[in-house]
Amino acid sequence: MSDFEPKIVAFVCNWCTYAGADLAGTSRTKYEPNVRIVRFPCTGRIDFMLLMKAFENGADGVIISGCHPNDCHYTSGNFHARRRWITFRSLLDFMGFDIDRITFSWVSAAEGKKWAELVNEVTDSIRTKGPFKEISTLDSSKLKQLFYDEITK
Amino acid sequence: MIGFKNALTNQPVPCFIEDASQAELIVYTPECKNNLAVYLHKPEVKQSKKIGIFGNMATLRSIIQLTSENQFWDIEKTILTIDANDEVLVFANMEEVETYVQANFPDISEEDLKLLAHLDSLTRDERWKYWTEQFTACIKCYACRAVCPMCYCSQCTVECNQPQWIRVSSKTTGNMEWHTMRAMHLAGRCVNCGECGRTCPAGIPIHLLTTKMNQDLFKEFGTRPGFSTKGEYALNTFKTDDKEGFIK
Repeated sequence: MSDFEPKIVAFVCNWCTYAGADLAGTSRTKYEPNVRIVRFPCTGRIDFMLLMKAFENGADGVIISGCHPNDCHYTSGNFHARRRWITFRSLLDFMGFDIDRITFSWVSAAEGKKWAELVNEVTDSIRTKGPFKEISTLDSSKLKQLFYDEITK
Repeated sequence: MIGFKNALTNQPVPCFIEDASQAELIVYTPECKNNLAVYLHKPEVKQSKKIGIFGNMATLRSIIQLTSENQFWDIEKTILTIDANDEVLVFANMEEVETYVQANFPDISEEDLKLLAHLDSLTRDERWKYWTEQFTACIKCYACRAVCPMCYCSQCTVECNQPQWIRVSSKTTGNMEWHTMRAMHLAGRCVNCGECGRTCPAGIPIHLLTTKMNQDLFKEFGTRPGFSTKGEYALNTFKTDDKEGFIK
């Protein structure tokens, strides 16, 4: 499984993190290509169910990133998001979900370098952890599990 | 008047009486654990305009929480309870209900605390195994949703099929999604009445999810549902200096 390449989905806010990622791009910063960025107007819009859907549809890791506190384009979206994440993270941990596969961060529009470093760090850590099989194998029978193990070896 | 009456089984059941002559039917024993506040959303009940309700502590807390969510603007209600000395108390207004509840605020039951402590002692993998095994038994009957006084949305997100947030079938993945969503929608609003866990036909202790959420939210944000009619909801308020240790 040494050629496993993780799929990372990033839910980012348009005004800060997306612009930061843009800056990383225009500065020709090289960083891991495993991330798929989904743009939201604000982290306050990010529904916790979207994270579950991402994992269910094959993501191995998730990044959620937005404006720093007090810098939200809509004033308080990131404050609401922060409360939601604190709650959701605690719920997932209680249910036994691997919360280390979800990374939260504040990345501003000027922090292109921070974005690149964050993506690199998360990709490395997920690559070490391996593919996320806990949800996709929930419904399978034992036979399917053996088959899955075989084809992803 | 919504209260309890004796039924053929040993467990008292909810009943609705419309005439003073039927008042003898009403009983109140320690077995009357059901949360009757859920009936206050029923259109047939709301038609009456003047409603009396006989509440145990869970019902009183639900009524306080629902008042803080402004769900009783169209009905007039009289609330009664029986206190520790078997005296009937009639509350004149919500302030009296609040005072009574705050004076006798219940703790989480021993049984639940033990189960929570046990789950806390497990490793992450063991917890995942526990909950996924439990959710395999879930049949998506949504009894937990039907019995909860806080689930009053006329159009539940589960009914939305564009996009389909929660699968209709009872595959374990979809069950896990449903219970996660339910716990999040109730976090900070649940009054720990335990009805959902009691009502589940598959015996899944789903009330533990919301109980744990309430404990955490109280620890992090100091919010306590069913305590005050002016209580704030943890997830639509914020402090600019909310603390967390995991955002990079």
